[in-house]
Amino acid sequence: MDVEIIELSDDNARFVLTGVNPAIANGLRKSMLSEVPTMAIDYINIYDNTSVLFDEQIGLRMGLIPIITDLDSYVLSEDCDCNDEGCTKCQLTLTLSAEGPVMVYSGDIQSSDPNVSVADEKVPIVELKERQKLVLEAVAKLGTGRKHVKYQAGVACGYKNVPVITFQDTCDACGKCVDECPKEILRIDGDKVTVTDPLKCILCRLCVDACDIKAISLEEDDSSFIFTAESDGSYPAKELIVQSADTIIEKAKLLNEILESIE
Amino acid sequence: MAYLCTRCKHSVEIDYEVMGIRCPYCGHRILIKERPTLIKKVEAV
Repeated sequence: MDVEIIELSDDNARFVLTGVNPAIANGLRKSMLSEVPTMAIDYINIYDNTSVLFDEQIGLRMGLIPIITDLDSYVLSEDCDCNDEGCTKCQLTLTLSAEGPVMVYSGDIQSSDPNVSVADEKVPIVELKERQKLVLEAVAKLGTGRKHVKYQAGVACGYKNVPVITFQDTCDACGKCVDECPKEILRIDGDKVTVTDPLKCILCRLCVDACDIKAISLEEDDSSFIFTAESDGSYPAKELIVQSADTIIEKAKLLNEILESIE
Repeated sequence: MAYLCTRCKHSVEIDYEVMGIRCPYCGHRILIKERPTLIKKVEAV
């Protein structure tokens, strides 16, 4: 297995994964989407709400705000010693207090833990007009994307096979495929056609169809994948990928233990 | 149950089986139900 990073920023990663079978690639993708524990608001206690939105609507909007996840300080509530009663190890309290006229953003939420706060400060919650008030307390917990979409740290995770474009010797460099390619990655190089950046190919097969003498073959490499992973901000993209791989390892260990206990 | 008269802003006790919906102070017929002071728990889903 080999990983080659194409692009890596705080909330975005693009890399080529080679030497694995599709099941592992898909496992990694699904793990990013639904298995990595992520912090999100579980319920809110509303003290006052004279805004135009119903309490339930405010609840929904609060739930979808991404919160920075700190797995060293918090555990999943079902794994906590407090038996899901709620303690400082499995839940985080946040407060929000605003009086109009003001636009209330996620950045106005005050966290009781200085290390953990909202990931994005510019998520609009509600616009308050004069004399309107919103006072609430929110309780955030760890959860996984399988339970609810608000616990989903990876928001745009996917992969495609690495394209393999080959030209036969019969190619006469007529240039039809070059004109047809929507990504403009084909180039005439003397009496041959070359591919400038195969990773940009979207496997549309327009070049194959354009070739009258069938000199182009486009195949997918079954063991190489171009991965795209985007985080909602609760994890840096790199950590999200590492966490998803760790989750698979944990599950594999558990399966191993179960199988060993049967023998 | 206490309501609030939208005209005279009085808090009014109404027994609508006896007297119908009308403010006993000013006679206005539009009353609003105020938000209870208790804390409301809402699931964030």
